[in-house]
Amino acid sequence: MSDDRIDPMNLTAQLHYSAAGNPPSTLPDSAISNAFPGLEFDIRNIWRRLLVGIELHESDNYVVGADPEHERLVGRRLLSVGDHDVVGALVGPTRPGSGSSRLTSADNPDGVTMLEWSNSLADVLADHVGQTVPCLFTSGPASKPVGKPSSLPDPRFEVVQLEVRALFAKSGTTGGDLAVIAEEMAGPGDLTRGLCSPWQNDYRECACYYWAASRPDYVNVEDTAAGTTTGNHWFAKDREPREYVLDNRFDSRLVSYDDLFRDWQGELRFIVDGKDAPEYRETEPDGDGR
Amino acid sequence: MTTIRELRVLPPLAVARLGGAAEPMDNYTAETDPTEPLGPRRLRPAPTFHVDPGSGAITGADTPATLRFTDGHGKVRPVAPFLEVWALTDDDVLRPLTVDLLRDNGLTPEDVRWRVRVGNHKIQRRTYDDNDRIDADTEWFSDHVSHELMGVCANFLEDKFLPLGHARYLKPTPEFPGIRLRFTPAAGHVYGSAYTDRPTDPDPNVVDFLYDATRGKWRGHADQPGDPRLTIPAQIYAGDDGPDGSWVSRGYLDDECDGLVHVALDVSGRELTAFGRIGAGPPAYAPDVIPIRTVADELDQALHGPAATGQDTLEQARAVAEEVLRRATETVRLMNTEVMNGNTVDGRVDAASTMVRQDTADTGRLFEPIMAPSLVDAAAVLALHRNVLAALRSGTAPWFADVLRDHDEVGDLTAKGRRKMPALMRGADGRSLALTRRQVNLVRLAARQAIFRQATDEPGGPR
Repeated sequence: MSDDRIDPMNLTAQLHYSAAGNPPSTLPDSAISNAFPGLEFDIRNIWRRLLVGIELHESDNYVVGADPEHERLVGRRLLSVGDHDVVGALVGPTRPGSGSSRLTSADNPDGVTMLEWSNSLADVLADHVGQTVPCLFTSGPASKPVGKPSSLPDPRFEVVQLEVRALFAKSGTTGGDLAVIAEEMAGPGDLTRGLCSPWQNDYRECACYYWAASRPDYVNVEDTAAGTTTGNHWFAKDREPREYVLDNRFDSRLVSYDDLFRDWQGELRFIVDGKDAPEYRETEPDGDGR
Repeated sequence: MTTIRELRVLPPLAVARLGGAAEPMDNYTAETDPTEPLGPRRLRPAPTFHVDPGSGAITGADTPATLRFTDGHGKVRPVAPFLEVWALTDDDVLRPLTVDLLRDNGLTPEDVRWRVRVGNHKIQRRTYDDNDRIDADTEWFSDHVSHELMGVCANFLEDKFLPLGHARYLKPTPEFPGIRLRFTPAAGHVYGSAYTDRPTDPDPNVVDFLYDATRGKWRGHADQPGDPRLTIPAQIYAGDDGPDGSWVSRGYLDDECDGLVHVALDVSGRELTAFGRIGAGPPAYAPDVIPIRTVADELDQALHGPAATGQDTLEQARAVAEEVLRRATETVRLMNTEVMNGNTVDGRVDAASTMVRQDTADTGRLFEPIMAPSLVDAAAVLALHRNVLAALRSGTAPWFADVLRDHDEVGDLTAKGRRKMPALMRGADGRSLALTRRQVNLVRLAARQAIFRQATDEPGGPR
């Protein structure tokens, strides 16, 4: 084993524990959490059942399910938990030179945006596990986003008292938290359910470069005489010429959807120190070491 | 005698990574270079367990001469994590569960029972049909053979299952006496859906047809606009354009999964149980890079709360601040910042999928680059990050705390709001990325404390 002893109360050490033989890419800090929807996990799913009696959408304040006692809340939207809002205002300019204003639309008439559960509910989790907290809901079903009222009471909204569930499993011996997410918060398949199907599709579909550790964008970068840089798109089939081909799913110079479905292992290259890792080719296969 | 009171599985969340090679990925370390703090992490081969295919015992732990991410035949080596069992003993120590500790409690390795349950519920998440859940369950076992994780689904074709990898209880030996299980993920194949009431065309994209497209709805499924239950983002599945702007599923599925590894042991008439979690995702294609915001950061905040407290030392806060900056630098190094800023590139406006495009498409905000287009060449942005680290270390960067985006500012799409850090990236709410509040608070503690460092080096100062 890697270490002889760990303080049983040191949850950080347990969370980051690297078992003997495991490379760093097995650790939770190798997995992205800007999950939109994610690569290794759609970690947003761990928050769906934080409030006892209802099930929330993994990334929206929409109630997708409820126990019989709270069945009437299905289809409504949650605006705040305790003193903590779960939506925020959308503000910005719409024309050059204009000032900023609320960004509303037919699909978002109040101009609001969801705040990530992990941040908006962090205080609730820290302070109220096992306690009942006032939760502000719309009074009826709301398929579109809704803003928080300026004052209460308001007949369009209703406060419901709900208990906060623990996110982590509990020690049967000490009663304290363990470093593992409780089984009732996420069962098998729950942490990957929101990911793209198949994941190979997301590597081409999203074309968003927010996950550089798993899905690099700009590789083999070199300085130019002009003091700027040039390099390859990671998806470039050929690395010469050293130029960045703008992403386009129809550009034959780049790896396509079908290329990924059929042979992602042959098409994608590992990047070390910003450059293609040396290609390794062997004439005889390795043995099976499972 | 040391008595076992409780079991734990460590790590509590292990990430496996798909690959079709027969031999799993070697072990390695990723270390920062103290002489080049924002340089790449250095990958070094590390002792790698060799598991005997027949006995399931570890027969050696050699360090390979070089790191190889593929097998030399076009297949990626899967990352197959080990999960260890630890025991909380009556002296309040958490220690590895070994053959000796079992013997002290009148037990043998054969008394340890394992069960692995994993699922792939991607299809069910879209169709809302519980018959589309794919689940695998090894049931309880104590032997050392490799147990295949056979994903079964009510809507699969007859006698078909989805291979989701293997679980194996490694046979303890005098040299390697620990109690551990290895999860080897699947190969990373794409599977398809076939009809049973009509012919199905061959599809070179899939290795096999598993799903019964006549019985289930996945092939031909289309997310319905306006349905508030849809995934966010919606329509993230392999598909083709359909009528009225719909996106019609081809019926593809993959072999990712996540689930629980249970362990059980009867000690003095008491059944002790514990579990850890596993998941199988794509390879880390830049293994010397750590994402800016990770699952570990989420869980760290959930464990300790969003605030920096008196238990957080200044040294820890500085380490977090440097790590955030290091990760940002690593991401910037692999990101075309000119494109991601929304610059006009090669004469093309809106040249790629960027936060600039997303903000406009989602909210109607004016389309314009986030930063001044002349400032975002990758070399210049890298240099900026290096300067910030130097300033942080010298105690002259208290302003750095103010450029971080707060979690409730993600809807601030003003010019100033969009320039906050981390810039150009997307968060889990679809808007610009914010760090966890705990990350932000620790960075602020480090940055602001720097001013007062000459007076006191203790935590609990200005925040």
